[in-house]
Amino acid sequence: MMGECLSLSDVEVRWSGRTILAVEEIQIRQGEFVGIIGTNGAGKTTLLKVCCGLIRPNRGTVKLDEHDLAKLSAWRKANLRKHIGYIPQAAEYNAELPFTLRELVAMGRTSVKALLRRLNKEDYEIIDSWIERLGLLERRSQTFRSLSGGEQQKALIARAMAQDPEILMLDEPCSNLDFNWKYQITEIIEQLHRETKVTVVMVSHETSLLPSGCERAVLLHEGNVLADGDIEEVLESEVLERAYQCRIEMLKLSGRRYTVNKS
Amino acid sequence: MDSFFYLVMFAGAVAGASTGLLGVYIVGMRMPFIGICISHSAMAGTIYSILLGVNPVLGPVVFSAISSMSLGVVRPGRSRLDANVALAIFFNLMLGLTFLGIGLMHGSRSEVLGLLWGSLLFVRKSSVLIITISGLVFVVFAVLFNKELKVLLFSRTIASATGVHESFVYCLFLALCGLVLAVNLPLVGGLMIFSLITCPAAAAYQICTGHRSVIFAATIFGMASAVVGFLVSYYLDLPTGACIVIVSAIVFAVSASYRALMRKRD
Repeated sequence: MMGECLSLSDVEVRWSGRTILAVEEIQIRQGEFVGIIGTNGAGKTTLLKVCCGLIRPNRGTVKLDEHDLAKLSAWRKANLRKHIGYIPQAAEYNAELPFTLRELVAMGRTSVKALLRRLNKEDYEIIDSWIERLGLLERRSQTFRSLSGGEQQKALIARAMAQDPEILMLDEPCSNLDFNWKYQITEIIEQLHRETKVTVVMVSHETSLLPSGCERAVLLHEGNVLADGDIEEVLESEVLERAYQCRIEMLKLSGRRYTVNKS
Repeated sequence: MDSFFYLVMFAGAVAGASTGLLGVYIVGMRMPFIGICISHSAMAGTIYSILLGVNPVLGPVVFSAISSMSLGVVRPGRSRLDANVALAIFFNLMLGLTFLGIGLMHGSRSEVLGLLWGSLLFVRKSSVLIITISGLVFVVFAVLFNKELKVLLFSRTIASATGVHESFVYCLFLALCGLVLAVNLPLVGGLMIFSLITCPAAAAYQICTGHRSVIFAATIFGMASAVVGFLVSYYLDLPTGACIVIVSAIVFAVSASYRALMRKRD
């Protein structure tokens, strides 16, 4: 079980001799909801991938559950990552395969079960309960590829939650969705955070997609952390203007923060 | 039809079924080029076995195992090299080694050139036994690691990020992939094996719902392509390998048309 959750110190990721991420210190405590925002190419996805060990930094330490990922064998690292629920962007998975929704959600239990152990009745009860909880019961025998974009995102959340994660990492979970689905998906994530106390790290382009339950934001710009702290302080017009290089006005409506370009 | 032709048909059916099943994972992981890459490694291995005068099964198994394991080094998100680019580079290297080996040979090269299209009609009982055992080994692997393989098919990135022992299962898969392709190569040939890997599995992915049905359909399509292709070639006196390739392509075309038709009706 995870204690201190996740910490990065003095982390640097280089690509073709160029630094694409440089983080002095980020610590994420258990139960936090952290939004990672920033411009295109700011290093948001790289930061998320460093956090879950998909990218090994050129320098620095990444600790998951107080274990230095660089010092662990591949086997031990895999065992530690069983507690990570990861939802990548669409390009990272094959949505064209004819997996049924139930098969897809069942993949979440694969991390929990040891190699060579089959899923049992108890696993399928957990799988079905998450399908029901996400309102996908009628769709459970349908293929993943036949679902709408919003339903696919719900299915991916159900898959991640079936894993019983300690930390949920989401990379732009609302990209390519209409405004209603964007709202629904972020509401679901917030509700899951509130009810299960799972730690959430969510990458988002839009500040309005960070739900009211998100207490902390990390603002990235050109691979550097421009601001990290209370969401109200990070999403100040003056702070965001430094990252986006334009005049910005923040509007708050129903607990959501909307960015308006005033240039 | 005498008993020898039943042996040929059985060999074709086993080769078709095992490569069809293998194709489910190769096509699903969007790496159909892996088949031609590993089969050419096996081909290079066979040529160097002949050149060095060692057991002709040893060379292809060693060569395809080395190339399979080397391809396992290309990790998602870790390497800048796309898996398909890595495969293309390996393919070129193996092709170079193959032709270098052919160039170094003295005397008749017909045996070596036969590796391109295989020699199903010259099958022996011992080779049928070997391909049956390798096919069964792969079936056992697919059953034991079924839940992990499904995650790998959907996303190697998710598998890696969520602790599915992705690298272990993937390397094991590649090694067995190399084994199945290496032992089937002398029978089926480097070019035909590629079509038996891609067409039946791609056809199954078009029309099936659920992973289990894909596995059954791809295995049956692979088996049927080999048997029907052989029967067509026997009765019409046509080249066996070419008939099998064409039948497997027809199976895919029919499946794709069926799916398109169903989509229109919906």
